[in-house]
Amino acid sequence: MTPLAIEARGLAKTYRKGLRGGGVRALDGIDLAVAPGEVFGLLGPNGAGKTTAVKILLGLTRPTAGEARLQGIAAARPESRRRVGYLPEGHRFPGYLTARQTLSIFGRMSGVAPALLSSRIPLLLERVRLSTWSDVKVKRFSKGMTQRLGLAAALVHEPDVLLLDEPTDGVDPVGRREIRDLLHEEARNGRAILLNSHLLSEIELTCDRVAVLRNGTVAAEGRIADLTASGFRYKLAGTGLDDGLVELFRSSGADVERVNGHLRLTARDAGHLNALVDAARGRGVLLTELSPLRSSLEDVFVDLVRSDGPVGGKETP
Amino acid sequence: MRVLWANVEEVFREAAARWTLVAYASLSTLFILIFAVAVNLDVVDGALAGAKLFGKEVQMGSRSVDLDRLVLGFEAGFSGFLFVVATFLAVFATAHLVPRLQEKGTIDLYLSRPVGRVRLLLSRYAGGLLLAAANVLYLVGSMGLLIWWKTGVVHPRFFLGAAIILFTIAVLLAFAFLVGVVTSSTAVSIMGTYAVFFLAAILAAHTSIEAALSAEWAAQLVRSLYWVFPKTAQLAQATVFFVSAGEGFRHAPKIDFLPVYGSTALFGLASLGLAARLFSRKDF
Repeated sequence: MTPLAIEARGLAKTYRKGLRGGGVRALDGIDLAVAPGEVFGLLGPNGAGKTTAVKILLGLTRPTAGEARLQGIAAARPESRRRVGYLPEGHRFPGYLTARQTLSIFGRMSGVAPALLSSRIPLLLERVRLSTWSDVKVKRFSKGMTQRLGLAAALVHEPDVLLLDEPTDGVDPVGRREIRDLLHEEARNGRAILLNSHLLSEIELTCDRVAVLRNGTVAAEGRIADLTASGFRYKLAGTGLDDGLVELFRSSGADVERVNGHLRLTARDAGHLNALVDAARGRGVLLTELSPLRSSLEDVFVDLVRSDGPVGGKETP
Repeated sequence: MRVLWANVEEVFREAAARWTLVAYASLSTLFILIFAVAVNLDVVDGALAGAKLFGKEVQMGSRSVDLDRLVLGFEAGFSGFLFVVATFLAVFATAHLVPRLQEKGTIDLYLSRPVGRVRLLLSRYAGGLLLAAANVLYLVGSMGLLIWWKTGVVHPRFFLGAAIILFTIAVLLAFAFLVGVVTSSTAVSIMGTYAVFFLAAILAAHTSIEAALSAEWAAQLVRSLYWVFPKTAQLAQATVFFVSAGEGFRHAPKIDFLPVYGSTALFGLASLGLAARLFSRKDF
């Protein structure tokens, strides 16, 4: 059986505040599972534990409890990172290196042979649109260019798992689109991608599944389509949507509001919805659109974050 | 090995970019050039018959000087000078290696690679040591060749004396790495290492200090510190003594090889070992 690309079970982390003080519980027993070829988004407000989770996965921080594995290998072992590419948030490549030197040094540190790197680096720089900048020192790069170089560095050893922290931060809209396309291409090639971002629209466009962290726990997890589904809420457009029809709908128990010439209605179930449509057609309404309404990921996120008091790590005695 | 060489390359590129390497090489070159241009020796039958310093005749009277002894004396003095200067410059040029590595946004890039933390730290240490060695070898090598060109005299022990200097640098660099791991501060690493250098030199006179102390516990403390700290003063003395083939510090007390080198090496190994342990257990 192919192991999960990323797996966390009961992951907890408490940061000590001082020698005598208690601690701040950044993670409180989270479970995560990402399969090969899947793009998984990790969401949450500041202090929710996203970065701590990623750092534990990379062995940068040790968990207080629980375990994390990358491709079946315990995250604490360096071998687990052999096939993992990581783009940290706010990364700082040495400014005195050129893009080519940066990829060469970090490629060799990932165990890639220099001969292989000399053929791979130009292709990679081309892929992230930095080929004309390959021999320019990194300190001359804009934020977007540095970000694209970071992505190239994460891909230089052709990893099977990608952990990306705010990969489109500082990147212009065209660059964002290109990064998104690149990630989709990587996922199609079987790479598992864990995306940590505040840009919910990016997550919505890129990820297959998401987990929303809140106060160190997973507040919600699932496919974006499932999380944003809003029950039997529909947009109904057409001619003859008069007040009489609205009253008729309301009298049947439907929740109706008029928005920009169309109706937004919430039915009890599929049967109720069909009865409403029949009633409208019976009154001579010509329907031009009947489509399900979804919440945006942002709506879901904000609802989840606001539902349980202040956010941030939990204080422990 | 790929990891080691990748780190060594980065250390050298950084040194070049920060002008550390260029500045040190330039200062060394300037020193060598001054010596090359300023000193003109008139050697007759292996003895110094006359000398000019910056074009001016040096009064030597009627006696001729044994050139071999003169060169040996210069080399011994220069080794003592180099011991202090090279050690200080090496610490100054490499103390940032760990604090910079531990900076937020940088450490993640390195630790996310499939490299063990101890291996990463030791690779940086090796890079720093090679950088210091390159500097020392450049200065000693160039000066040795210059002396050979001017006088025709070669003393291999002048070159071998660099090994004691490098040994001292290796030990102090290990301590600088330990301070760097704990504090993440280049300034504190440099100051702490220089403090150890000077304190250790003062502790060379531990018997006199102990005799001046009235409390036994204080004397015991001084004695303990003496054995814990690296023996920087004795190592400087050993360098001159070695290069001068026993002529320098003729009246100084004999240096016991094992206690001086052994306890200093132990200090370096303990510092590096502790640095590696703390680095491998640290949360970033």
